[in-house]
Amino acid sequence: MRGSSVGAFLSLLMLGALSLPAAGQGAVWWSPGDGTPFPAQLDDVDGDGTTRLLLEGGPMQTKGHPFFEPKGDDGRACVTCHQPSDGMSLSAETARRRWAETDGKDPLFAAYDGSNCPDLPQGERASHSLLLDHGLIRIARPWPPVDAAGQRVEPDFTLELVRDPTGCNASKSWGMAAEAPRVSVFRRPRPVANFKYILAMGFAIDPKVGEPLPIDPATGQMVSGNLLSDRRVLSLEAQMQDAAHTHLGLRQGLTAEEQRQILDFELRLFVARQQDRIGGDLDEGGARGGPETLARSEPGRLGSQGMAVFSEFAAWEKIPADADISPEQRAYRESVARGARIFREKMFLITDSAGINSPVGFGNPVRNSCVFCHNMSQMGMDVAPGQVDLGTTNMPFADPQPHLPLFRVTCKGEPHPHYGRVIHTHDPGYALTTGLCADVGKITLQTLRGLTGRAPYFANGSARDLRAVIDYYERRYNIGYTEQEKRDLVNLMGAL
Amino acid sequence: MRRLIPSLLALLALTPAISAAEAVRFVSCPVYRDTDAGRKSGCWLAEERETGRRFDITPSATKPDWSMGVLVEGRIAEKQDNACGAPLLEPVRVSVLPEMACTRAMIPAEGFPGRRFVLPPRNIRPLYAPDPAPPPPYTAKLFPIPFDFGRDFAVYQQSDWMLVNAATYAKAAGGTVRIIGYAETQPFTLSGQTLAEPADLARRRAEKARLWLVGLGVPADKVSLEWRENPAPLADPAFDGLTETSRRRVDIRVEP
Repeated sequence: MRGSSVGAFLSLLMLGALSLPAAGQGAVWWSPGDGTPFPAQLDDVDGDGTTRLLLEGGPMQTKGHPFFEPKGDDGRACVTCHQPSDGMSLSAETARRRWAETDGKDPLFAAYDGSNCPDLPQGERASHSLLLDHGLIRIARPWPPVDAAGQRVEPDFTLELVRDPTGCNASKSWGMAAEAPRVSVFRRPRPVANFKYILAMGFAIDPKVGEPLPIDPATGQMVSGNLLSDRRVLSLEAQMQDAAHTHLGLRQGLTAEEQRQILDFELRLFVARQQDRIGGDLDEGGARGGPETLARSEPGRLGSQGMAVFSEFAAWEKIPADADISPEQRAYRESVARGARIFREKMFLITDSAGINSPVGFGNPVRNSCVFCHNMSQMGMDVAPGQVDLGTTNMPFADPQPHLPLFRVTCKGEPHPHYGRVIHTHDPGYALTTGLCADVGKITLQTLRGLTGRAPYFANGSARDLRAVIDYYERRYNIGYTEQEKRDLVNLMGAL
Repeated sequence: MRRLIPSLLALLALTPAISAAEAVRFVSCPVYRDTDAGRKSGCWLAEERETGRRFDITPSATKPDWSMGVLVEGRIAEKQDNACGAPLLEPVRVSVLPEMACTRAMIPAEGFPGRRFVLPPRNIRPLYAPDPAPPPPYTAKLFPIPFDFGRDFAVYQQSDWMLVNAATYAKAAGGTVRIIGYAETQPFTLSGQTLAEPADLARRRAEKARLWLVGLGVPADKVSLEWRENPAPLADPAFDGLTETSRRRVDIRVEP
């Protein structure tokens, strides 16, 4: 069944609930224009368990819906890169499968962002290697940067190309010296769900920059500042239009009615892991995992002042001796509960990470745990806007990634507080929006729910699986996790 | 506690004379003591080179960066706990000096416990549980906002809280808001270093204050801006008795 279109399930579909097949049978590819209704509850079964999507308010017809209908000339839709079976993102594995099934003809592999560069021979696999091997979509940012109002931003740094394995940054048509100069960076699609939390504002300020929250120029209202890796847009409406132009090839953009329909869908959609093959349902035995808790809870709450982050699994810390569960199930549940404690309580020294150690006065170093940044109850995002440099894209902290471009940033004014005047980076991140060298490598924190279906991780796909995420943090901050602690954290993240 | 008493006595014996409430002001390189009493519990120390006295500067709202110099302005605390292995300054303000490079220095806890993090009183309330608006009557009111030396950054859990208070009052009171930014451009010498703030910092501080007020809902057309150099020190609770630090401030005057 792997690779079947959703249409094959039409006869099986009950609008109230739908289970997609288990691994070995195959995840379902939602093709644009398929017309399959989106159920109120959609269970995606894989080899390790089930990820559940809840559409609050009931099922929805996708026929004619702008999220699901092909737009533009090449048949793409939003759903192309935001697949229900992949937690509303897109895994590299799914991209490879789609390549094999369609011989590279699926609209997913459109030249403008589904290939390493539009001027490469599009029929060749090598021209799509970043998407197929690392799940990366090409993001072409204007250079110099342009702000939300369309005004040119004068950057306080210069940007030079050190290495360009895709050729796109040196391309005469698409590169940094093209008529319309662009910087091509390569990023993972962010999941389209749980927006109640992503848009939530816990406080009116952004302590990381010492200012109030950003103002959406379209509405004049404060916004959370947590959309997209580089915060190049401030609202879902602006994100839709940005995506319509850059990922769907629409010259006219989306109509107001299309935006309304997409917004309605996205704001109703919640995703989380629901069931584990060994541990069973994640909302059993007093635990409150799964997407229902997300749909019911208030967003934007700071875990340190309310419900502790991922304390949904606190009841599994002390499972009664006479609980009617298998030893394996008990061991898994206890591991998840320990993982949540480790996430909150294992302290380590955070060093040289802009957004944490500068400019805000937490100190460099500062002792804290994962929840210092991943501090929003239920979601693990940052209640304050989460632009932070973990080093995933900046040398010397980034893992070697020979497949990615490498840029040399030279600060023209004050040097970067942690890297000095010259920085080498695979992706300047937030600095491509602000034009500030102090922001090089800052990436907006991700949601931590529904993780299992959307590997690889980090914005540049540098962690192939959840264990690789933990291993990166261990290397970066010399945390000293034991092997058991690493397994517990992986189990926790798999249960989210 | 029993093991701390001997160490406290030893500390007092080895430390050149300290007297409670004595004001200290010096430039130095910070030392991080890696104590672990939970989040944000590491200790920050700095030595006054002129006297050889090392102080615990941890209570500052702005913590040091271990690769940069610090300007320390504080008073020796009346109540000493020796949590970090040095006499405590409290109140204390630390300003990071990015142009003064320091060798990174981290020392082990050596038995000192550090302090558990306690949410400071100057913390902004969340949007879902805000403080109530101040009740009338509304009279002219001054909100002085402190800034670290050389910066226009609103200090977390200090100046940001004061800016929110000013905006909340201004919105409730109506009327006009006059913002005056100041910078300490007159050079002063401490620990052999001559320091002076750039003149344009007064303007940048004023503009930053306006960004806060307008961002938090004060009508932009009600806000006026001025900036000046080298104000007289101001005795106000915003500076915790460290009057010298008040030369680097913004005055927000709400006039209903």
